[in-house]
Amino acid sequence: MRLFYIDTSSNWLLTGIYEDNKILAEVKIKLGSLMSKSALEKVAEVFRKSSIEPTDIDKIIVVSGPGSYTGIRIGMTIAKIYAYTFKKEITTITSLEAMNLSEDLKETYAVSLIDARRGFVYAGIYKDNEIIFKNQYIKLDKLLDYIKTLNAKVTFITDQEYIKTLEEILIEKEFAETNKNYNVIEYTKNLLNIVSKTKDKKEINPHLVEPTYLKLTEAEENLRNVHYDN
Amino acid sequence: MDIYILGIESSCDETSFSIVKNGVQEISTVISTQIDIHKEYGGVVPEIASRAHIKNITFVLEECLERANMKVEDIDAIAVTYGPGLIGSLLVGVECAKTLSFLYKKPLIPVHHIAGHIYANNLVKRLEFPLISLVISGGHTELIYMEKDYSFKKLGSTLDDAVGECYDKVAKVLDLEYPGGPKIDKLADRGKITYNLPIPLNDDTYNFSFSGLKSAVINLCHNEEQRGKTINKEDLAASFQDVVIKSLTKKTMHALKEYNVKNLILAGGVAANSGIRESFRKLCEENSINYTFPDIKYATDNAAMIASAGYYAYLDGRRADLTLNATSSDELK
Repeated sequence: MRLFYIDTSSNWLLTGIYEDNKILAEVKIKLGSLMSKSALEKVAEVFRKSSIEPTDIDKIIVVSGPGSYTGIRIGMTIAKIYAYTFKKEITTITSLEAMNLSEDLKETYAVSLIDARRGFVYAGIYKDNEIIFKNQYIKLDKLLDYIKTLNAKVTFITDQEYIKTLEEILIEKEFAETNKNYNVIEYTKNLLNIVSKTKDKKEINPHLVEPTYLKLTEAEENLRNVHYDN
Repeated sequence: MDIYILGIESSCDETSFSIVKNGVQEISTVISTQIDIHKEYGGVVPEIASRAHIKNITFVLEECLERANMKVEDIDAIAVTYGPGLIGSLLVGVECAKTLSFLYKKPLIPVHHIAGHIYANNLVKRLEFPLISLVISGGHTELIYMEKDYSFKKLGSTLDDAVGECYDKVAKVLDLEYPGGPKIDKLADRGKITYNLPIPLNDDTYNFSFSGLKSAVINLCHNEEQRGKTINKEDLAASFQDVVIKSLTKKTMHALKEYNVKNLILAGGVAANSGIRESFRKLCEENSINYTFPDIKYATDNAAMIASAGYYAYLDGRRADLTLNATSSDELK
C-alpha cells in the first residue's frame, strides 16, 4: 500500500511517500511564511525522489489542524483536489493526534500541545493511543488544572519552539508541587510512525474533508458571544 | 485548434470555476457565493471567506466539469486569479490551480483580477483596441489603457477607498443591508438631487478619491440628526450617486479624449450599477464612443472572466510554475 502524507499545519512542511512501513521519500522543512509558495514544489520533489507517480498512490493522509489557519488550508487544498480528481482514498488526522502517534509513549498520559497564544493552547490527551481528552482550544491554566486531577505520570509533547516557554510556565505555576511525575519532550515528527498507525483509518469523501480549526473566527465569537475561557 | 481554459477565481467571497473556449465561448461556469454568510457581519470577513472556499472548492469544480461534460484531461491550461484580493481566499484558489497543474501536467496561467474584470466584456463582445477600461468594484477603481490584447497601462486609480467600498459604507450609514451598493442604486433612481456633496479629487489627474465623499455623507447625516431633521434616503442616495457619476465620467471622458480612443468598456461589480451604466451610455452616444459593459452575470467576481483573460495571457506566453504565490496587492502588467 502506497501512502502520501502531508502536514502544513505548523511552520513545518511535513510530507512523504511510504510503502510497506518504509520511507520512499520524505521532506521535513521549516518553511514558515514560504509555505504557500513552496509546499507544492516540495511535494513534487517527494514524488520525483520516490519515482512514484501521483496515480500510483493508494491513500492520502492529510493533517487537518489545528494550527496555522492559512497553513492548514494549503495542505488540505492539495489533498482534497488530489483525492477528488484522481479518485484516491483520503483520510485525516489532527495535528495533535499526529504528535501523539509520532512519539508512541507507553505508561504515561501523552499531552499533545500547540501554542495558540494569549494563554491558550490546542490540546489533546492520549493514553496508549486512546484519546481520553478530546482535542480542544483551551486556556493552559484550565488544562493544567485538569491534568493535576489525573494524578498520574504525564508527558507533554510540543514543538521545539514552545518547549522552553512551556517549561517556564510549568515552573511558574508550580505544576511539580502537585504532579512531580511529568516531563516535556519535543515532537520529533516521526512521519513513518504516524503513517503506519493511520493507514487503515476509514476513508472520507474528499468533498467532506475539512480543516480542524477548533476555534471560531473572532467575528463569529463576537456575533455569537462565545467565550472560550468560561 | 480550439483552446479550452479552466478558470479559477477565489479572490474574495465567491468560489468559482469556469471553462471557456478560445477566450470567448463560455462552456460552463459555476459560482458559489458567500453573500448570505457575510450578510450578518455587515461585510466580508476574510477568515470566514477562506473557510468557506476550502469547504466548497471540490463541489464547485465537480459541478463545473459535469455541466461542461468534460474532464480535467480535456483542458489545455489552468488560469487562476493570483491577486489582488484577500490573501487567505486567494491562496485556496492558487493552491488548487497549482495542484491541478502538477497532477495533470497542464500549463499554469497567473491572471490579475483586474485583467479578469476587463475580459468579462470579451465574453459579451470581442474587445476592440485601443480601448480605455474603467474598472469599478468593491476593491478597485482604475482607469486602464489597452493598446492590444493583454497589454495594460494604468492611467490612474483611487488614492483611498474603492468606489464599491464607498457605496457599501454609505449604505451602512443609511441602514441598508449588505451588500448596500445595489440598494443605493435603486433608491437613487427614485430620489432627487437635493443634498450638496463635494465632487472628490476634482482635478486633471486620472486618480480618484472616495474616502472624503464617504466622510461627507457621514457628517451630513450626523448634522441633520443634530438638527432634528430626518434624512430623505432616496434623495441622499440620488445626491451621492450623482457625485460618484460626475467623478467617474469626467475622468474617463477626459482620458478617452486625450488618448484619442473610441472604445470604452466598464468592468467590475459596480459596472452593474444602472445609474453609472446609463450615464456613460448617454455620454458615449454624444461623443461617438463604442461603449461596452459586461452582462450582470459577468460583472461580479466569476471564473469565466479569469478563463477568458487566461486565454490571452496563454497566447502571450505567460506561465507560472509551482511556486506561484497569491498576493494581496499587485500592479496590473
